[in-house]
Amino acid sequence: MRLSRLASRAPAPVFGAIGPGWQVAVERLLARSGLRRALTPRDAGILLVAGDMPGDAAEALGRVHDQLPHPRATLRWTVSHETADAVADRIVASWRDLGAIDEADLLPDQPPNEWKGVGPHGQGGKGMMGGTPYGRPMAMTGEDIRDGLQLDRYTARIGPFAPMLPPGLVLEVTLQGDVIVAATVQHPPFAQPVDADAPELCAARMLTILGLDGPARRAIHGRRPGGIWVRGAVPRGLGGIEGAGDARDRLAAFLGGDRAAVTAPDLSELLPGLEWSEAMLVMASLPPSAILRAARLPEAA
Amino acid sequence: MTALLALAVLGTLALGAVFAVAMDGRIAQLAAGFARQRIETEAPDRLNRDLAAVWYLALAAAGLSVVPFAPGLALIDSPVGIVIWGTCEALTIITVFLHGWSSNAPFPLIGAYRYVAIGLPVMLPSMFVLIAAALPAESLSLPAIVESQRGMWNVIRQPLGLPLFAIVVLTLTLRGPMDFADAADIATGTSAEESGAARGLWEIARAAMLVSASALAATLFLGGPLGPVLPGPVWLWIKTAALMAIFAWLGRRVARTTPSRMLTILWIVLLPLSFLHLAMAGVFAL
Repeated sequence: MRLSRLASRAPAPVFGAIGPGWQVAVERLLARSGLRRALTPRDAGILLVAGDMPGDAAEALGRVHDQLPHPRATLRWTVSHETADAVADRIVASWRDLGAIDEADLLPDQPPNEWKGVGPHGQGGKGMMGGTPYGRPMAMTGEDIRDGLQLDRYTARIGPFAPMLPPGLVLEVTLQGDVIVAATVQHPPFAQPVDADAPELCAARMLTILGLDGPARRAIHGRRPGGIWVRGAVPRGLGGIEGAGDARDRLAAFLGGDRAAVTAPDLSELLPGLEWSEAMLVMASLPPSAILRAARLPEAA
Repeated sequence: MTALLALAVLGTLALGAVFAVAMDGRIAQLAAGFARQRIETEAPDRLNRDLAAVWYLALAAAGLSVVPFAPGLALIDSPVGIVIWGTCEALTIITVFLHGWSSNAPFPLIGAYRYVAIGLPVMLPSMFVLIAAALPAESLSLPAIVESQRGMWNVIRQPLGLPLFAIVVLTLTLRGPMDFADAADIATGTSAEESGAARGLWEIARAAMLVSASALAATLFLGGPLGPVLPGPVWLWIKTAALMAIFAWLGRRVARTTPSRMLTILWIVLLPLSFLHLAMAGVFAL
């Protein structure tokens, strides 16, 4: 009993599924005290669905919903006249009373393909490399883009609610280890208001990737973020763009309160060759409007 | 006496872990986690998934067991105490790897491999720092290392030791600038697919490792249980708590660079620096 009372005092862990036009509102909301932005649905108790989700994101939203552990609750924030205070109160109330709410899965809890193989763990069988045995794509060796040695290539789709990418963006990436060898945009990010380019929000996104949650929160509140070796931690030359400096320059500009005007090259050119963490730092260093312009679908490119 | 020392080790680990979680302001969050469902991924490595956090805790306990709580008095008074600690460090890397490996998902696996790549070059400066601390004592035993600091603490005669060891502690406890296993860009990496009690247990194990590593740092550099008036264990606790606060503060404040850049820094700057540290310690000991 006492444990549950202690537990109810914890900040409500919220995973934000952000729709078109709602990025600023949600980022500011989740920086409040009493709420905690979960970096994975597994760590969240509340799914916040902000804005009207386009129909093509419904299945992905269902998958995210089902990834939250029980007990869980979904809250929708779709009318702009509902204030952030009111939504925060609703979230905290749901979190305190989560056991009584709980929600069932939206999608059937079955693997898309039967899991079978030869061994006791479903491993083994003929042809361990490549192809799609039992409907599961397997990694296949390919030339390493850095040294020409052979290394496994693994392709996955990330998005549209991946917390380290802009909301709505679906990337199909081919990785070798954690080096991106190919990236194509499957769905562009949702359009966001100009406020999403605000320097404090851009700075906070980079600070989060740099592991500085406290400073990121302070930046969103318009206070001095603090932090040691902040600019220095961004490698020089990373994500260099003609006329907009590199990621470190852009972070310095954001921290100085300047909006960075960036015309980024197409993501399918910008990302390959970078390690995943470098790529996410570069993405965070681009204002959402620049990513939207750089995220052209393959057929349009 | 052995029973008392065993109790001291476990008590220190438990209370210290609570202190560590409280410093991060996460007591309520931890309690909330235990009330939640534990998620099952598709075809996980169940044995290693369940063992990773337990193994991590066991390594923290084993590491603390060689630390003397009073001059000449450790639960495991081994003539090669710092070698036992070094083993715990190396096995921690394997434990974190298994944690990421076992959930059978891409982001945890990336975190696992990344941590091994970083952990290896962190172990090398760590070993030189440990050897340097053993030089003035002319012994690998921790009680002997404590005795050798009666005149002067190692933190003064080996000024690079504690800063270098701080990097090791941050790596072993997955904190801030060295948390390459559970980073934000991979959705908390090796923990990305974990929820409920599993996530909570991992958090507790990290906190316990912070206690153990800080107690070792206090022993190596701050004279461990040595001090006036107060009894030995109290001095050890005070010094350990102070170091824990410093490491937690660094973890919250220092930015994390990219793994490839950290690798360059580790191999090109910190490894030579640890050579220099060992050479200086050797000259001073002569």
